[in-house]
Amino acid sequence: MGETGINSEKTGMLSSGKDAPCPGPACLDLVVQGKKIHYHGTRNVLSLLESQGENAVYANVRINGEVLRRRDFENIALNDGDEVDFLYYMGGGARRQP
Amino acid sequence: MFNLSEEEILRYSRHIILSEVGGAGQQKLKDASVLVIGAGGLGSPALLYLAAAGVGHVGIVEDDIVDITNLQRQIIHTTADVGRPKARSASETMKQINPHIEVDEHQQRLTKDNIFEIIDMYGIIVDGVDNFPTRYLVNDACVMKKKKLVEAGILRFMGLIMSISGAETACYRCVFEEPPPPGTVPTCAEAGVLGAVAGVVGTLQATEVLKMITGVGKPLYNRLLQFDADELRFHEVKAPRNPKCPVCGDNRTITELVEYDYTCESQAPSSP
Repeated sequence: MGETGINSEKTGMLSSGKDAPCPGPACLDLVVQGKKIHYHGTRNVLSLLESQGENAVYANVRINGEVLRRRDFENIALNDGDEVDFLYYMGGGARRQP
Repeated sequence: MFNLSEEEILRYSRHIILSEVGGAGQQKLKDASVLVIGAGGLGSPALLYLAAAGVGHVGIVEDDIVDITNLQRQIIHTTADVGRPKARSASETMKQINPHIEVDEHQQRLTKDNIFEIIDMYGIIVDGVDNFPTRYLVNDACVMKKKKLVEAGILRFMGLIMSISGAETACYRCVFEEPPPPGTVPTCAEAGVLGAVAGVVGTLQATEVLKMITGVGKPLYNRLLQFDADELRFHEVKAPRNPKCPVCGDNRTITELVEYDYTCESQAPSSP
């Protein structure tokens, strides 16, 4: 997904989950954007977002069907099996805000 | 009987032969009215397909003029149109494609003072705006007026689209409650956009409109589709109505139109 999406090599916090479970307790099995992954970072939404690189700051997050408030990102814990979707703000072509 | 001429029946024969559309569906298209807000990257393909499909009455809201940097993706305009009003350029192209349709040009910026009057003239609204303040204004107005809205956005190699039916289905604020913090989301001018991504997403918007008018298929209600051209993937996210949504939820805090400030320094509403 390039700079706006999952980039495990960039962060070192994600690895492909495929069908194998996490290798140890320090790892979470997550489904992010429909892909199974192993997450090794701090277990809150903000950290997961930050692990995606700078462009993730303009994503909203939905976990297990619930859209989160941006102000809650740091306080929402991630749990094994969570399904996480990043919902990206996409404005348009304005050269500047009119 | 259908009110279609021999020439129209021939022109729309590939529609009419579809059993799901038929002459009745084509008549519905001719009787329909659609407003496209923005004649830019998304609006260009949407307008072209709505015109070609024979949507009888199409409105365009656009106050900008054609710029040379638009032509990489805004395919309704040509090099000869640079410097001309986009609404006029788009309208002329549409009428060249299909002289049987009526096109209104609204060469003005949408505000909380004029949006109700303009959207009231049309049955379905297509959002092809280029900034967040107008995007939220359009969403809120369509929810309040119970209008069908096909919402979309593009950036870099990505696009998103969701269809909204007035206050009955999830709206844009159900997913994106508030505009992004100032300065966090670049525009296409700052971050770039692959031109054909606008074509994909704008064409999906036109597809949704044609489905809504004819009653064919299942609109993208309560779902959000994200398109990633980089990997050529579509990712669908279920997006049911959010009871906490400030404009369509159970305890609504936005009951009048809000116009967010356009400055980069502040996104606070200028008035309630």
